[in-house]
Amino acid sequence: MSVAVADARIATVSPASAERGRQARRVRRWKSVGAAGIAVLLLIWTLVPIYNIVMVALESKGDVFTNTIWPDAPSLDSFWIVITQGYWYLEHFWEQFGNSLYIGVGTVFFTLAIGSLASFAIGRMRIRYGWLLSNAALLTYVIPASFLAIPFYRIMQIYGLTDNLWSVIAAEVTFATPYAIFIFHQYGVSIPIELDEAARIDGASPGQVYWKIYLPLMAPALVAVGTYALLLAWNEYLYQFLLLSSKESMSVPVALAQFFNSDEAPWNYMMATAIVYSIPPVAIYYTFRRRMAAGLTMGGVKG
Amino acid sequence: MIELNRRSVLRGAVGWAAAGTIASPFIAHAQAKTATVLWVQGFVKEEDEAFKNLVAAYEKASGNKIQASIIPFGPAMQKIVAGLTSGDTPDVMFHDIADQAVVPQNTWNDKLIDVSDVVETQKDHFHPTALLASKYYNNVTKQRGYTYVPLKAAVLPIHVWGSMVEKAGFKLSDAPKNWDAFWDFFKPMQKKLREKQRGVYVHGLQPTTNGPADGNNTFHHFLIANGGNGIVTPDGQPHLDDPQVKEAVIKALTYISTSYKEGYVPPGALSWSDADDNNAFHAKQIVMDLDGTISTEVAMYHEKEKYNDVVTMKLPNDNAGQPMKAELGIAGAFIAKTAKNVPVAKDFLKYAIQPEVVNTYLKTGLGRWLPPMPEVVKKDPFWLKEDPHRTAYTTEALIDPTVPNYPCFNPGYAEVNAQQVWGIAVADIVKEGMTAQAAADKALKRIGTVLAKYPVAKA
Amino acid sequence: MTTQTLDAGQPLVRRRPLRLTWRGGLQGSEYAWAIAFTLPYIGLFLAFVAYPVAFGAWLGHEPSLYAELAEDPIYQRTIVNTILYVGIAVNLKMFGALLLSGFFMRPGWWVKALLLVFVLPWAMPALPAFISIHWMLNGQWGLLNNFLWNVFGFDGPGWLDTSRWLALGWVILSHIWKWMPFWTVILLAGRMAIPQDLYEAAEVDGATGLTRFTHVTFPLLANLYLVCTLLSTIFTLGDFNSVYFVSGGGPALSTHVLATLGIRDAFEVARPDLGVAAVLSSLPLMIPLVLILMRKLRTTEVTL
Repeated sequence: MSVAVADARIATVSPASAERGRQARRVRRWKSVGAAGIAVLLLIWTLVPIYNIVMVALESKGDVFTNTIWPDAPSLDSFWIVITQGYWYLEHFWEQFGNSLYIGVGTVFFTLAIGSLASFAIGRMRIRYGWLLSNAALLTYVIPASFLAIPFYRIMQIYGLTDNLWSVIAAEVTFATPYAIFIFHQYGVSIPIELDEAARIDGASPGQVYWKIYLPLMAPALVAVGTYALLLAWNEYLYQFLLLSSKESMSVPVALAQFFNSDEAPWNYMMATAIVYSIPPVAIYYTFRRRMAAGLTMGGVKG
Repeated sequence: MIELNRRSVLRGAVGWAAAGTIASPFIAHAQAKTATVLWVQGFVKEEDEAFKNLVAAYEKASGNKIQASIIPFGPAMQKIVAGLTSGDTPDVMFHDIADQAVVPQNTWNDKLIDVSDVVETQKDHFHPTALLASKYYNNVTKQRGYTYVPLKAAVLPIHVWGSMVEKAGFKLSDAPKNWDAFWDFFKPMQKKLREKQRGVYVHGLQPTTNGPADGNNTFHHFLIANGGNGIVTPDGQPHLDDPQVKEAVIKALTYISTSYKEGYVPPGALSWSDADDNNAFHAKQIVMDLDGTISTEVAMYHEKEKYNDVVTMKLPNDNAGQPMKAELGIAGAFIAKTAKNVPVAKDFLKYAIQPEVVNTYLKTGLGRWLPPMPEVVKKDPFWLKEDPHRTAYTTEALIDPTVPNYPCFNPGYAEVNAQQVWGIAVADIVKEGMTAQAAADKALKRIGTVLAKYPVAKA
Repeated sequence: MTTQTLDAGQPLVRRRPLRLTWRGGLQGSEYAWAIAFTLPYIGLFLAFVAYPVAFGAWLGHEPSLYAELAEDPIYQRTIVNTILYVGIAVNLKMFGALLLSGFFMRPGWWVKALLLVFVLPWAMPALPAFISIHWMLNGQWGLLNNFLWNVFGFDGPGWLDTSRWLALGWVILSHIWKWMPFWTVILLAGRMAIPQDLYEAAEVDGATGLTRFTHVTFPLLANLYLVCTLLSTIFTLGDFNSVYFVSGGGPALSTHVLATLGIRDAFEVARPDLGVAAVLSSLPLMIPLVLILMRKLRTTEVTL
């Protein structure tokens, strides 16, 4: 009886489920075809401008203006010129690269330092006017950098910081710190407050709590924000262009823009320079990608 | 090539030595011996070398110190503008297009120091147009005065690929002598050349709005060629309702826009930057180009075959058959009222504008810029004899008739230039389908609005 | 049933403990510590935000500047461009990012590899990337027209100098190219934070495909999406690089936006006051956005 019932059930179910299975397979196949299609489109979309950069860098000077879609005689000469500073505009290239690095490292350091100190005071010590500070930070966060550029330029003259790498660091830190305070604040919520309290009962000063407990536990957020700040400093052009002007103090983006000054435009050198310049941020992004995602995901969606 | 270099180095050395001896009377031993100088970066390396030599020679001769920063064209302009607005300026500022973009407005606002004592030292040597371009109107004192020290001069010659003209089966010597006809002469070449090369155009016309300089310069030459030079007169008065000016504007707009619409101008020219026409020319995508200085040729200085293939021509006559007046651009230096060390600043400039010093300075820079002193170029075979490109260029600038840029007459015109009114007028015709008449009216009205803000009192 | 609870969003919200960390408030030397900790940021804010903002406001306080701007035809065009640019670019970019973040949730190594490539534009410096796009679109020798010529045998137009709308379109696409990866990563992080059991519960209730998205994913992402969109609007409003390097404001100054026009007026026209005024004239648009954003962020605690 029971067997028969079971059989019957199987008998009734099976054609339908087979049909459903086939349908599901068909749907899955179409889905993967669709996914592959999207993937191809995305690849083209993402890579074409980058391909163009590489192509120009591999061309010889005259070829840039020809009608080819791949250089007739691709060569790495442009890269060699860049590395050996073999062209007039590039004679300070490594110095300028060093300047970019200096700006990047300075920005990361001060963003992390100022941001973590402030967020510790706001989030952990819960100072009375903390909300004012976080609102002020928010206010900066939402002012587009380019809107402050003109007054900023003149402020820097008043501070006597024109053509000085520190003026750029100040600008980048100004725009990276609010973001840092946000991330730190959100991330900090996940660190049990009891740790602070216990340490405090043991007689630790706020400075010790910050240094020994808060910072080590904040490591993932520090990495995420640090990467963000570095990319910001590396990507930014307007402030560096306005604030730095002599060849010795220029950063690489400003030096790149020099190529527009002249009547002669060796654009293959320019693009080779751009590629060399792109390597550090891309490498750093890929190195810290996972941690960065972790830092960004913390909190993720709430409500 | 090596020979040429060695020769020019030798010549330079002799020049500096000579300059040093002449210079000594001018040296003032001011108490504060250091002046800061902002100088624009050259288009070729040699120009910067020349400036460094100039500074070294001055320091040696005077015992003063010059703290110089050489800054690229674009950022230099920004530094100057920002410095003048905020009052934190170097003692001497120098820019290639200061006569069009900075000095007029800032003299108007009484922000620059009178430099007549500097200019006076060489007054007899300066080209009359250069002198015109060093006097600007001050709206506070309601007077014109010297606030600009001319150091370099330039005009727009015509650059032609000789081999391309030949390939098309034409001879440059057959080119007509009058303006429009001269330009028309190139039109039939396009069809011939297109048989062999895709995307080749004959006219390097630049109705661009990206500037800063080329778009306006191109238009002004067409304007002058059609008799419209009186658009702003040396007394600073605009003459926008003058029928002759209006007619010239319409004719100039018509020629440029028609050539564009007929496809003789690369379509991209509407948004060319100042370097793009040179790029297109170097890539042989345009047969000829009307463009300032001989930087086009100098950029190929070390590729002799190409260098010699380019024919540099002075301008043809205007449409009435009279010798064409070229716009003589004057690059020079100026001193802000906020300068800290005016005596050394002036002393340095007095030194720099001595004929021998100017000559050496500009020759070291490969002759891309000219001394604003006719005698100097007549005396030194370098300018008028040794190189056909330089000969044509120098003749156009210092022998043939010239006019200064309009902003010298009325500072409002600097704003007109910055607003790229003429480039927009051409775009109105070719993009928006406006008639030349309507586009001219619109542009002149716009200019009227801008110039109304700058009423120059009649002397 | 399940969706109802989800809509309320209650289970996902973790209220921050309200008790004070330093019980009994700060005492004695702790005030000094608190001041020392906040001082760097306060200093930074005063020196590099408050002062420039006040200075900018002072530079652009002259009403005549705004009258001058209003009658400038270039400025009028710029306003239209700015609205179009921000409106279209932000929405396309954010919607694309929302869809793509779903795509990148798919399993499989190649999806992960694709994501690595996809974020390249964001990790690359902006300047060379935009210059490359600018060249690519050059009518005479750009890659795009060379490709059309070599493959299809015809010549495309000058993509950036034929018409204002075409040029503006390319500017918008370039902006999306550069910034969509960033927002995709943010939204992807948001999606990954949605607990898997919610989907399983939804599946039990028969929600698949589109219903799953509209009833589970979107309600949870909605707030994040909104905040991201607001932020992106503000950032895009201040985006200088895309316009400056891709179209350069051309043809005939017809594709400027406020951010580039301000810089142009300040330094090319040599009128810093006018440039500041151009930039400040976007405040009526900006302030409401900032206020909404402040409220949203305060009440809902969304992290980016």
